[in-house]
Amino acid sequence: MPETPNPEAVALFALVANRYGGRLTTEQLDEIKKMVEGQVEAARALRAVRLSNADEPFQTFTAYRSEP
Amino acid sequence: MSSELLFKPVRELAALVRARQLSPVTLTELYLDRLERLGPKYNAVVTITRARALSQARRAEGEIAAGRYRGALHGIPYGAKDLLATAGTLTTWGAAPYREQRFDFDATVIGKLEDAGAVLCAKLAMIELAGGMGYRQPTASFTGPCINPWDTGVWTGGSSSGSGAAVAAGLVPFAIGSETWGSILSPAGYCGLAGLRPTYGRVSRHGAMALCWTLDKLGPLALTADDCGLVLEAIAGADSADPTASERPYRYEAAGRRGFRFGVIPDVTDGCEEAVIANFRRSLDALAKIGTVEEVALPDLPFEQITRTILQVEAVSAFEDLIESGRIAELTAPEDRFTPYAREAILAQDYLKAVRLRGVMAREIDRVISRFDALVAPGRINEAPRLGQEFRSAIRATAKDVMGAVGNGAGLPAVCVPNGVGARGLPTSLQFMGRAWEENRVLDAARAYQSLTDWHTRHPKLD
Repeated sequence: MPETPNPEAVALFALVANRYGGRLTTEQLDEIKKMVEGQVEAARALRAVRLSNADEPFQTFTAYRSEP
Repeated sequence: MSSELLFKPVRELAALVRARQLSPVTLTELYLDRLERLGPKYNAVVTITRARALSQARRAEGEIAAGRYRGALHGIPYGAKDLLATAGTLTTWGAAPYREQRFDFDATVIGKLEDAGAVLCAKLAMIELAGGMGYRQPTASFTGPCINPWDTGVWTGGSSSGSGAAVAAGLVPFAIGSETWGSILSPAGYCGLAGLRPTYGRVSRHGAMALCWTLDKLGPLALTADDCGLVLEAIAGADSADPTASERPYRYEAAGRRGFRFGVIPDVTDGCEEAVIANFRRSLDALAKIGTVEEVALPDLPFEQITRTILQVEAVSAFEDLIESGRIAELTAPEDRFTPYAREAILAQDYLKAVRLRGVMAREIDRVISRFDALVAPGRINEAPRLGQEFRSAIRATAKDVMGAVGNGAGLPAVCVPNGVGARGLPTSLQFMGRAWEENRVLDAARAYQSLTDWHTRHPKLD
């Protein structure tokens, strides 16, 4: 019995297919669908970790000013 | 080439050059001849920079004769992965859409090596766009698959494929590669070489193709860990053209220490071939002679998902023009022509979560690794894949690579060295990963291991 498609993966795949479907073959789109499902699985693993308000992105923004 | 020079480490060649027993011009001509004769056999070379090499070699020879010796790389030939800009010559990034690309400046690394007196002999082949589009096979380069000098039926690994092939075949004594996730350790491991992935920010990325701004590192592949240290000293340092290049000073110090503390992650050999596991156990026995070996658990975090998400998003952003224009259809590997489209479906919030988790990962790993000189693990899970074979990859989630995810995600240094041969007689490898900015410590450990073993003195039989 086929697994029920993950609704989030379905929606995100639809986004890709809508945007780029015209330049992709059916086989390529099938592969992309599997990749999107994998990405959604990865996202679930990321979302499962709780962070605090103080956990900032680990890359620093600095204000810029051209110095003479 | 004179057989006594072939496969001499940089340190030994340097001693001969410094003593004026070996002419840089003669040495350069010998390697240029090998690059021209044997480079095509291994698909290792994109461009041979003969005129520039001979000019640099003559200058080195004159300076050394005049008593102006610059250091261990003075008069020593090398090759550079073809993602480093070199003024006037092709810089193809291994990819058909860029096969005619030229820059009018040298990458900072190329400039630093010139300052050290090294001699650029060749731009070396690579996987298209450094493998960032999700390739699955060795053929993913417009110059063809790089062929492993240990067995012409197998691949070198990638994406610094030509850098691995060229050093292993004795076409250059050292080469510069790049790693976003695995691209130095993979060819070094599969080709029986030492490969050093420096701390992120140790080496300027200016003039290198950007695949992932926060993951890309440049580093050497050479015959020994010691040679990697000599090269790193020449290429490390701050650069006003790359704000991520650190001002922390780096000086290679080849200490002959013992009494190391090594850590091993419990499941680190999961998914490895049997011979890789057996060789790793033998390596641990050897390491026990120079230190302690202790099992250490990592915190429970989604390491691979963190690094993979960052890599996937940065790579499609870096090549937005190529993807949006549809020109990725010109790439060589069929999967590279469409895989990036899938990544457009990664949500911004998930990407930012990965970047926030990266800080947690970096702090947690530093807490663990600070108790050790190095975490050790197999350099690769297997012997080199066959040329016609799809390979498994942590970047595509078809293989596990916690060490690679942590090391690249947190920007930590690692060196890999050969530690045996597998069932097919091909090299297997051992990696040492250390704290940020502790290249000397991992190089110490790798050098100590190499002083106990002779795998690095074995070379492929070349016709």
